[in-house]
Amino acid sequence: MIPSNRYVFTLKLPLAVLVLCAAGFGTAQAAKDVRNATVGFSARIEQIVLPGSELNSKPQTKDSPIVLRIVDRFPHGSNFRYDLEYYGLESGSWNLSDFLQRSDGTQTEGLPEIRVEIAAVLPPGQVEPNMLKYDPVRGLGGYRNLMAVSAVAWTIGLVLLLFAGRKKSSNATSSETVAVSVADRLRPMVSRAIDGELSEHELAELELTLVMFWRRRLNLDQHDAASIIPTLRQHDEAGPLLTQLEAWLHQPGGAGDVDITALLEPYRDLPEDALETPGASFL
Amino acid sequence: MPDSSAPSLIANSSFIREIRERVASVVVGQDIVVERLLIALFTGGHLLLQGVPGLAKTLLVSVLSKSVDLDSARIQFTIDLLPSDILGSEILDQRTNEFRIHKGPVFTNLLLADEINRAAPKVQGALLEAMQERKVTIGDETFPLPAPFLVIATQNPVEQAGTFELPEAQLDRFMLCHRLDYPTPDEEREVLKRNMALGIRHEDRGAVAITEFDVLENKPVGSDRELVACMEAVNQVHVSDTFLEHVVELVRRTRTHPNIELGCSPRAGIALIKASRARALIHGREYVVPEDLFSLAEDVILHRIRLNYEALADGLTGAGVLQDILKSMGATPSHSAASQSTGNSAVSSEEASTEQYAGV
Repeated sequence: MIPSNRYVFTLKLPLAVLVLCAAGFGTAQAAKDVRNATVGFSARIEQIVLPGSELNSKPQTKDSPIVLRIVDRFPHGSNFRYDLEYYGLESGSWNLSDFLQRSDGTQTEGLPEIRVEIAAVLPPGQVEPNMLKYDPVRGLGGYRNLMAVSAVAWTIGLVLLLFAGRKKSSNATSSETVAVSVADRLRPMVSRAIDGELSEHELAELELTLVMFWRRRLNLDQHDAASIIPTLRQHDEAGPLLTQLEAWLHQPGGAGDVDITALLEPYRDLPEDALETPGASFL
Repeated sequence: MPDSSAPSLIANSSFIREIRERVASVVVGQDIVVERLLIALFTGGHLLLQGVPGLAKTLLVSVLSKSVDLDSARIQFTIDLLPSDILGSEILDQRTNEFRIHKGPVFTNLLLADEINRAAPKVQGALLEAMQERKVTIGDETFPLPAPFLVIATQNPVEQAGTFELPEAQLDRFMLCHRLDYPTPDEEREVLKRNMALGIRHEDRGAVAITEFDVLENKPVGSDRELVACMEAVNQVHVSDTFLEHVVELVRRTRTHPNIELGCSPRAGIALIKASRARALIHGREYVVPEDLFSLAEDVILHRIRLNYEALADGLTGAGVLQDILKSMGATPSHSAASQSTGNSAVSSEEASTEQYAGV
């Protein structure tokens, strides 16, 4: 029985579609083998069989014109089959075999040439950017030593602050203590006052020095400052002195009533131990 | 040396004595406080009293105002007090539909500002500005304060929670700051006896306890003319150049002392001179003497100085440092004398400022 034309057409059409699909699938699955690219754009060479032991891409250097990556590798008998991906950094014709090395360290002699062409997109004569200059960072590390040194320095500083500063202060005080005695200060002031040579400022100082002299002589240092003069006013020797000093220095027209020489004469040659015998009269 | 032959002193001494007697008839002890009140009154300065409650501060002001026939007012400072509560404000008179000025309690002769540190700084500032300028602006109008105008403010040094401490710049406007102390046992005994003798007063159908305020005599012992005469007499009290040197030296030492961060302003020197003159008059002298300076130094200077951190860390107090300064005057050469003199007495001012610690 001969099939009808209609039946034949019905069988042939799906077959044709299947053949076309298979052909398309085959085309889609075909290994890529792109040997031309522009600078910076990646391309692939797949399923390339290279003789010898396993290959790796060489480590990238600063001057490499090609960046090569082995995407995949498959055993292929005694050889290997590779999927390679590359992109060029410089235009020109480059052999990718030059950028491969054996994993076992043996020579790559016998590798076939894998020539690729990298084209430049930019016109020639481009000015290349200067190399980046940088200073290596110094001083990194050594933190433990730094902390140890800081701790020692801080401790030394603290010790100096606590002890050296205080010693200096007490030394200064003790040297001043012996520098001037009351008698030493009073003698020249009294002599000049009797001669009428003291300025107002020095007269003021003489008055308070005499008050201070009697304050110490009568051991009134612990008294409140406001109560010292009223206390001195009650004393047989200090009282008249204060009254006459006030008349001389503060009362208007009072200086004429005061015999300054007689008033100050006992203090002109004060004995060194005048303050060492409190309460004893020396006048 | 008292010189009571001077006419101004004879006229004023009885006035002062009668005021003191009137105050003493109501307030036991507190002679120094009365003296400070009179100094403030005679010099037109303001007085800050620091002391715990119950030391007769309000009573003192009341009896003083009645003794001299002066108006007085009292303001209790609180946290919610407003400047207008003190100074006054413009209020709308509904009968005339016009604003009229309502003057506050600051328009008086003697103003007692109780616990001034409890009010907010803007209220303190408003009062202190009135104290300084002696005039008050309400709305668009400026009113002079009555003369004399004296503010007596109090501070409680114990309860510091919820208070606003007066800054140094505002404290400087008080001529004197006196620290009240408790009465002596004898004085306290007298206070109790007098209080027990007060009894009660019948009112309507009940009775109330009589207080010291009820027994204040309303009849003044002096007039405002006598007060003005005293103020004039204060200005005639002689201040010698030697005394001026003492004042300058004392103020200078507060500025150069190693323990003091903030020394006295020139206003302190002015206050020292004014207060010393008034004290001299109260003590029957026509001239000031160093005793006036030493007696008033703490009240005039202590609230104007601020110790530095090192001094506070060492536990020093302002009063202690001031005592050191006062006692070092005469014990160490002053700055200018040191630069003028030669020989053994020539020590530097820095050495002089530290010599006090040696207890020479």
